[in-house]
Formats: sequence, C-alpha cells, structure tokens
Amino acid sequence: MATERYSFSLTTFSPSGKLVQIEYALAAVAAGAPSVGIKASNGIVIATENKHKSILYEEHSVHKVEMVTDHIGMVYSGMGPDYRLLVKQARKMAQQYYLVYREPIPTVQLVQRVAAVMQEYTQSGGVRPFGVSLLICGWDNNRPYLFQCDPSGAYFAWKATAMGKNYINGKQFLEKRFSEDLELDDAVHTAILTLKESFEGQLTADNIEVGICDQNGFRRLEPSHVKDYLANIP
Amino acid sequence: MSILTYNGGAMLAMKGDGCVSIAADKRYGIQMQTVGTNFQKIFEMGPHLYVGLPGLATDTQTVMEKIRFRKNLYELRENRKISPKVMASMLSNMLYEKRFGPFFVEPIVAGLDPVTYEPFICNMDLIGCINKPDEFVVGGTASAQLYGMCESVWEPNLGPDDLFETTSQALMNAFDRDAISGWGAVVYIIEKDKVTIKDLKTRMD
Amino acid sequence: MHSVMDSRPFFEDYSVKPMQRQFSPYADNGGSIIAISGNDFVVIGADTRLSSGYSIYTRDQNKLFKLSDTTVLGCSGCWCDTLSLTRILNARMQMYEQEHNKKMSTPACAQMLSTMLYYKRFFPYYISNILVGLDSEGKGCVYSYDPIGHTERSSYRAGGSAGALLQPLLDNQVGMKNMQNVQNEPLTIERAVGILKDTFISAAERDIYTGDSIKINVITKDGIKEDTFELRKD
Repeated sequence: MATERYSFSLTTFSPSGKLVQIEYALAAVAAGAPSVGIKASNGIVIATENKHKSILYEEHSVHKVEMVTDHIGMVYSGMGPDYRLLVKQARKMAQQYYLVYREPIPTVQLVQRVAAVMQEYTQSGGVRPFGVSLLICGWDNNRPYLFQCDPSGAYFAWKATAMGKNYINGKQFLEKRFSEDLELDDAVHTAILTLKESFEGQLTADNIEVGICDQNGFRRLEPSHVKDYLANIP
Repeated sequence: MSILTYNGGAMLAMKGDGCVSIAADKRYGIQMQTVGTNFQKIFEMGPHLYVGLPGLATDTQTVMEKIRFRKNLYELRENRKISPKVMASMLSNMLYEKRFGPFFVEPIVAGLDPVTYEPFICNMDLIGCINKPDEFVVGGTASAQLYGMCESVWEPNLGPDDLFETTSQALMNAFDRDAISGWGAVVYIIEKDKVTIKDLKTRMD
Repeated sequence: MHSVMDSRPFFEDYSVKPMQRQFSPYADNGGSIIAISGNDFVVIGADTRLSSGYSIYTRDQNKLFKLSDTTVLGCSGCWCDTLSLTRILNARMQMYEQEHNKKMSTPACAQMLSTMLYYKRFFPYYISNILVGLDSEGKGCVYSYDPIGHTERSSYRAGGSAGALLQPLLDNQVGMKNMQNVQNEPLTIERAVGILKDTFISAAERDIYTGDSIKINVITKDGIKEDTFELRKD
C-alpha cells in the first residue's frame, strides 16, 4: 500500500537532541504499577503489585510475573499488552537459542536480544516504542543475574532496583536496606517491604506477585507461600 | 558413485583418559587420481577444539569457512570460548538448514570442554544427525576399515601416548586398504595443557 | 492407457496394460571368512549366521566345506550359488580322484576353482571364496577369489560382508604392517586362532551380517581339527 511506503519512524529528535517519544514511554512506565527486583547471594527475587480495580476481578488468572525459560523470569512496569508481546518474543528467542546450541540461553544473551527488539521499535516506521520497562532475572554460570530493560533499548545490571510508580522512593528504600550477603528469604521480605512503602491499602497475597530464581530455576510463588511472607510484615 | 567418495579421505577421533585424538589422511584426489598429498581437513576451532570435515573437498572448505564465521560471531557475542558440545549443535543445526541440498561432509568434532576439560567426541551425517559414542568415531571413505580397526585396538582410559599409538595404527592400517585414502596422515592429541600435532610417514601408494 | 483426464480410479491389479516384473537371480546372504596360514598349518574361520536383509535365516550355518583331507573352502555371499558350486566342486574332486588315482592337491584345487568360476563369467556365482589347505610341501596356503575367478595366493585373507573391516586388522596383526622394530617370528596355531577370534569379535560389533558363532578349521598334516566359538547374537 502506498501509505505503508511512506511510513516514517515516529521517534524523531527534538531540536534540543531529546527523543520525546522515548521520554513519553518512560513516563508511561513511571505511571505504571511498581515492581522491584533484588539480587541475593543465593538467588534473585522479583515482585510487583497486581492491584485490581473491581472486586469482581478474578485474581491469579492473568499474571505479571512470567517465566521465560527454566532459569529466567521477568516482570514489568508499564503497559500490560506491550509486556505480553515481549514475553512471547523472549520465550521464542530462548527456545531459538536452545535449538541451535543445545544449551540454555545465558541471561545476558536473553537481555541483549530483548533489548535489541525494544531498540528496533524506536527506529522502525509505523510503530511506537514499548510502554514498559522490564526486570529480567536469571541464574546461570552458578550465580544470580538481575537486569532492567527500558523502552529505549538500554539495559542495566542491578543489585537491586525499583521501577514504576514511586520508583525513586523505592530505590532510596532499597539503598538503605540492601546488603551484599542477603539470603533469598530475606530478599523476598525486603522486596515486599519495598512494595509496601508505596502501596495504597492493605497488602495481601492476592494483590502482589512474587517470583524467585535460584540454582533450581525460576518459579512464581503461590499465593499461600506469599501469605507466609506477609505474616512476617508488620 | 556418491559425491561423498569423489575426493576420498579417512578420519577418526578417539576418547582417552583426559585427552582426545583426531586424525586424518592427507590425500586430495579426483576419483582414482591423486592430485595433492597435503590436503587439510582437520581445523582448529579453539585451544582445545578441532573439527574434521571428511567428504567432498569443496564442501570441506566451504563448511569450515561457515562454521568459523558462526563460531567467531558466537565468541564475540557471548564473550567466551565455544565448547565442543555447542560447536557440534551449531554445526548440526547449520547442516540441517540445507536438509534438501546438503553439504557433502560428515563432520567429526573432537575436543575438551573449555571449563571442565572433559573429553568430547562426536560425528554426524551430512544433514547433521549427531552420534556421541563413548569410545571412537570414524568417517570418510575408509570408514568400514576404520570400524574394524578401532573396534579391536581401542580400549578405555588410554593415556596420551598410548592414544597416539592406537589412533595412528588404526588410521594407517585402515587407509592402506582404501585406494582413495592415505598418502600421509596427521594426528592431533589434545590434552588439558598441550596439543601435540604429529605428521605420520606412511606408504605412498 | 490411464490418462490424467480419466476420472475413474486406477487399480494396478486390474490394469490390462502390459507390465514388466524384475526377477533378481541373486541374493546376498552375508557372512565373513578369515584364513591365516603358517609354515605347517592353516586356519580358516567362518561365522555361522545366514541372513537376508534385516532377517536371519539361521544362526547355525556352516560355511566351511571340506574338499579333501588337506583342503577346505570357505564361502560367503549368495548361499544358493554356494550350494551349487560346492556340489559341482565335490563331483569334480571325485572325478579327479577316480581318473588320476590320487587326491587333488590344494594348488590344483585352487586352480580348478578359478576355472570353474570363470566358466560362468557372464552369469557368475555370487560368492566370495577363500580356499585354504596345505600345499605339496606341507606349507599352509590361502587362495582368495573374486566372483569370476581372479585368484591370488597369500598368507592371510579376510572376505565376505565384513572383509573390509577385518582385512586391515590382519595386515596389522599377521602381516605386521605399519609396525616398527618387530621381528617376524613364525606364527603359531594358538596365535593364529587367537587373532582370528579377536577379529571376528570386532566384526560382529559393526557388521549385522556377521555374528552368532564361528566355525574354525585347523588344518595340519595330522588332519582337520574343528572348533567353534560363540559371537554376539544380536
């Protein structure tokens, strides 16, 4: 179609050298539900709010914490539909890698490839940047990994971080609470506390989601399991 | 006549105790006429990794270039050495991409894992079906002769020196009974901290 | 003629057009033979498996034929040709004995076999023959043949379906090929039988047409001693 032939990238430089489309995307992320990730000595935890607007909503049906491969999981802040596309792509890339090399994809590789997709959406015609930031956690090489992927395609390796609404407070809280020799159990506790900082209302096992990753692989915690952690929260 | 036997050649790899060997003849011929006697078909793909490509000579070289390309990209992308296992999977995958118009090579991969130094050998058919035995693999036009030799001279837990002797004897006696293999040979003994390359003087007829 | 335009179904069995069927006069029933000679003896061994394609007809078929007190023929290949050839060969041996009033020598028998094979130059016996015996001086001899009567006397030979697997091993172990600094001491019966068994064990590992067991004939001036040895049966 003639209209497609002239479809330019929507992400263009402003005279001051900024890419406002990406800044808008980051704004969409900052307005999204908070999520945190903490690297412990023996694993990683990722957690997020999953608040529902109506009591009619069926909880524990649509998830925000997702597994990519046995040893990699992710969560997001921002726009749900955009996230699901990235999860689909990430899973596909992980399987693609396994098919060629017969070896599970290293977390760093997955992050780089997901980031490359996100970057592509900042320069392609007829598309907009993703309205999400991702937290990707993984266990390989006998050590934990935690990465954040932004709509621009930039990615960062964190010891601990927070994204989404109130992320500045979340990060400040983590800076105070984080220590290198944290155990995974304590990290889960700290992650939930970080969510609690900005949470409006009562934290329950039905309105947060937690995923953990250690040498046994990645898994999303059952609500009953989350409840046990919540019991220790004042 | 199969394209796989157009140029001739014999190759084998054996597992030893903490070491592996890979060896091949050096003949390059066109059917029954010998054209060259210094043809390389075993290639270094890392400090402890060698790939042998017996079969059609032109495909030997093309496939070597292609896997070197893919290996280099892999090592840059992942900032680590490729392991023999990954090399085998990658090669198998590459060959299967040409399932209906294959490269006429039956590769052998031999090496030590770059982290654990565990011995690894495997071979595959021309479309990438991997075979990973615990003792030895053979390939090329003298494969029947090599099977007969290896089956009786190979034994478990050979040290590097014994592995060299076993590999050489198996290869030489096998290709002496194949008209389109021989004319010199090369043996690689791959150990944790050294790789020994030896050229064998063989009968030249 | 069945044309593309014809919409009726086509049943080959009810077709009236002429058809050609191929009759194949040959079968490959497999089997391997090894012969090793010494100064005053010769040993010959043959496996006892008779097969066709992927099926085994019998696991106990003797493929060694005693032609005289000092001559034994080993046959592998097309079994029906073997039966036919050995039947005629025995008759010719008997005729010779009656005409000349003496037993046929091994070299004479070897020459006759070659002539008999070439007689069928254009419809050959599809057999890999190895003839062994003691010559007029009492020395062990081995004759090998192609299907149309080309013959060669040697001191050891492997033939049949696993011939290619076995021959290089004999070159090495009996012919001392590619060996340095070894003196060629005369072969003993024990060593010859030992090598023969070892090579058959190797062949049975990789050749599906060789296995079950082997029949061994040891020919000395004192006569023919028979022996059997078990191989793998799968």
